[in-house]
Amino acid sequence: MGETSQYANPAVWIVEGLLVFFIIWKILSARRGRELFIRRIPGLSALDEAVGRATEMGRPMLFAPGLSGLDIVGLQSMSILSHVVRRAAKYGSRVIVPLADPVLYTVAEEVAKDAYAAEGVPERFAPEDIRFLSDRQFAWASGVVGILHREQVASAFYFGYYYAESLILSENGQMVGAIQVAGTPATTQIPFFLASCDYTIIGDEYYAASAYLSREPTLLGSLVGQDLGKLVIVGLIVLGAVTVTVQSLCPGAQWLCDLANLFIKYFPRS
Amino acid sequence: MGVVWHWLAAPREGWYLAAFIIAALVLGGTALAMLTSTPPRYRKTVVMVVTFVAGLYYSLEFLLPPEAWFFTKPHRNPLTEAQPVVATLAQIVSSFALLLGVWNLFLIHGRAVAKRSAGWYNSAAFFVAFFGILAAGLLKDAAAGKSGQVAENVYLVLFNGFLTSLDSTMFSLIAFYIVSAAYRAFRIKSLEAALMMAAAAIIMLALVPVGAVITNWLPEHGILSAFRIERVGYWLLTGPNMAAQRAIAFGVAVGGLAMGLRIWLSLERGSFFDRQL
Repeated sequence: MGETSQYANPAVWIVEGLLVFFIIWKILSARRGRELFIRRIPGLSALDEAVGRATEMGRPMLFAPGLSGLDIVGLQSMSILSHVVRRAAKYGSRVIVPLADPVLYTVAEEVAKDAYAAEGVPERFAPEDIRFLSDRQFAWASGVVGILHREQVASAFYFGYYYAESLILSENGQMVGAIQVAGTPATTQIPFFLASCDYTIIGDEYYAASAYLSREPTLLGSLVGQDLGKLVIVGLIVLGAVTVTVQSLCPGAQWLCDLANLFIKYFPRS
Repeated sequence: MGVVWHWLAAPREGWYLAAFIIAALVLGGTALAMLTSTPPRYRKTVVMVVTFVAGLYYSLEFLLPPEAWFFTKPHRNPLTEAQPVVATLAQIVSSFALLLGVWNLFLIHGRAVAKRSAGWYNSAAFFVAFFGILAAGLLKDAAAGKSGQVAENVYLVLFNGFLTSLDSTMFSLIAFYIVSAAYRAFRIKSLEAALMMAAAAIIMLALVPVGAVITNWLPEHGILSAFRIERVGYWLLTGPNMAAQRAIAFGVAVGGLAMGLRIWLSLERGSFFDRQL
């Protein structure tokens, strides 16, 4: 078994270089006007349905970015928030955004303000709807549960990084009868959202959200580049499995042994 | 470069520390004022450059091996040595934002108390709790002797007695929510739900002694032993389940890389990234 290091090894340079190449290549080709196909993602299509439902019921919506900070997950969450707030502004609905991270709170406030301004109704922006609750996990969760029940929200969106509080929130959302859409890159929390939400966005669909919602060529290109990157990873998995299997079947072949050892050296188990 | 990092990060006290803090605040304020007064066109460029340089630091820190020929000291990447300082810088920015968060709490709850709106007493409780634990926290460090001891005891009661217990209470609620969520998830309405129910039943039985008893009649060795419920459960967890988990993890990692790349190179579009800065 090879040793892991906190630094990249040549295999990482090559694989990451390939992924970056595919993403940038596809972004550039999309920008040149090439048509790209993106499959339907029901969870993301349901966002507009959920906003419409809240508008019809005359009740507010809740958008919770989980415990995300100002990182990739948090920024993607803000991107989806922007879409939801714009739709809400268009239909005259309220979106309550409870936050656990003070840095993300400032970003969320700006995003909501901009979304209302973009829809031509900046006066409808209510600063008290963007709320910093607490940076402690369960204090934040209890605050969100309180909002769900007090405001009797019609729709709840959970997009961001979640830990154990995911089930507490989504089950309370069920109790108030809210239509719930969730998306998280936290693989341990996906089953909980699947069990208690109406729509759940799984894995990298979370990162496809901004491309899916905006249909911007740059983002669509990036998404197609990501898929090519995943093909590279699938290829490596197949190559690794074949190399190690063949080596165990033909223990006498030195070159196979060397190849398998090389693979294990550069792709060590963590 | 290392000398500068060490000088910046060296511990200070007294007037020297006060002067350092004032100088840092003046410097920060000046930078902020300059950024605010910069025309939007150039401001966007400044933000792009800062984002790129910050991203470049972390990329190079990870990608450049310590044994690279251009590092004078063997097995030492100077960018790695600078990490504590960079982390401190990020922490300082977060601390400023925490003040904004607290200000937001004060505004919302202050308004609720002032207007005597529904549930205003909960907002009043927030102020009592906030100032109570703040006073206890400050006094336990500042006061000496008996009053310091009293403040420490009060702080411990508030922290361990209230906060930690309330955290644990919320956490333990999950057990009940799991039952209600499982009930809904396991209602057999489709083929997928039936498969999930079957897999869950096997895993649950595999983890309890009564499950092992059910297939105890099967031999412990040989082909038939693979059908013992504890082995089937283990296979489900480490085979199909692990494969799916890893597939999702790979997808998430590639998606994160693409998103990170777009932000790093200021290519992100479609939401707040393309607005006029």
